[in-house]
Amino acid sequence: MARDLAIDLGTANTLVYMKGRGIVLNEPSVIALNRQTGEVLATGREAWQMIGRTPGYIVAVRPLRGGAITDFEITERMIRLLLQRVGVSRFTRPKVVICVPSAITEVERRAVTDAARRAGAADAQLIEQPMAAAIGADLPIDEPVGNMVIDIGGGTSETAVISLGGVVALEAVRVGSFDIDAAIQAYVRREHGIAIGERTAEEVKMAIGSAAPTDDESQAEVRGRDLMTGLPKTVVLTPEEIRFAIEDVVSSIIASVIRCLAKAPPELAQDFLVRGMYLVGGGGLLRGLAQRIERETQVPVKMSNMPLEAVVMGAGHCIEHYDALKNMFMGARRT
Amino acid sequence: MIWVLIVIAAVAIVGVWFAITRRPHQESGVESFRRHIDALSPEARREVMDRVRPPQEGDANRKHNPKDNTEGPEH
Repeated sequence: MARDLAIDLGTANTLVYMKGRGIVLNEPSVIALNRQTGEVLATGREAWQMIGRTPGYIVAVRPLRGGAITDFEITERMIRLLLQRVGVSRFTRPKVVICVPSAITEVERRAVTDAARRAGAADAQLIEQPMAAAIGADLPIDEPVGNMVIDIGGGTSETAVISLGGVVALEAVRVGSFDIDAAIQAYVRREHGIAIGERTAEEVKMAIGSAAPTDDESQAEVRGRDLMTGLPKTVVLTPEEIRFAIEDVVSSIIASVIRCLAKAPPELAQDFLVRGMYLVGGGGLLRGLAQRIERETQVPVKMSNMPLEAVVMGAGHCIEHYDALKNMFMGARRT
Repeated sequence: MIWVLIVIAAVAIVGVWFAITRRPHQESGVESFRRHIDALSPEARREVMDRVRPPQEGDANRKHNPKDNTEGPEH
């Protein structure tokens, strides 16, 4: 018998939790294909290293954008390969719980469950990412108190208020840390006239990116291709420039947090002032973001202990207590 | 004739008994909600948290630590 699995099928990374074992896989959601034959050449980290560095016949792609499947067949193949890597075969078909953005449409939801079933799952159930994140962040969501979680992923940012095991208020935007990378790429192209790849933009974000001024700021040298001459060129970027470049994305994330706060019932809203809001997801690691949200909402913001793993841990808990928690699955609530 | 009736009655009794015992147990709303909340309690979550929490230095189980495996892009 296969052990049941929980999958955080993120735009950036895919994490797999195996029942009774813990997290068994944590890889970038990237697949490299031979453009001519359609053959899979690499997945995960190996494929991620190929992004922007492939010869013409190889294409390294992220089959999910904004938390949704953009290429059904490629996603199915990626899930199949990931499941094979954790020991799933055609004879051992596990139950699978998959985390998806709450803003996902009916069509996108069906695409995820179909992809998982065709990839080898006996049954595929979906759970909203903020709910899974709140469970994984160890918030007391079983109590009648307001728990607020902000999950900033690669393609989506979701804020939810949770009490007594259910979502009370929810706000999601299809904006995430990849949009921050894209904003940096666009800024460098526009202001410095050089083209940089998405991996370089991500490195810049991690090195000097911030949502608010911090104590330890330094400049970064960035190498790219001069758009005028076509030659390699180096420019120096400052943290102020990056803050300016990503301001629109950061503002739209904060605006969605404020909208969610406004939706919360007053009885729960007062709890936030005491308990604070919890930040999870890789996007939440952007320097100064917690302080900026705190400043603009006047509510304390705390970082989860394991921001990158919180979502899959929450889904893992659901697979461990499948029968007791099946009311939380997206299909279950709508029927 | 009497044996036929006895057999039919026996089959009917077995059928009814089977139908009753096979019917899924209908959980009451209170029971189901209690179970749901209990499954979300910190005690119920402890096992998963302990399984995933990064091990201390020198822990032999290091290969399951997700942090060892996060050189790729962030989420």
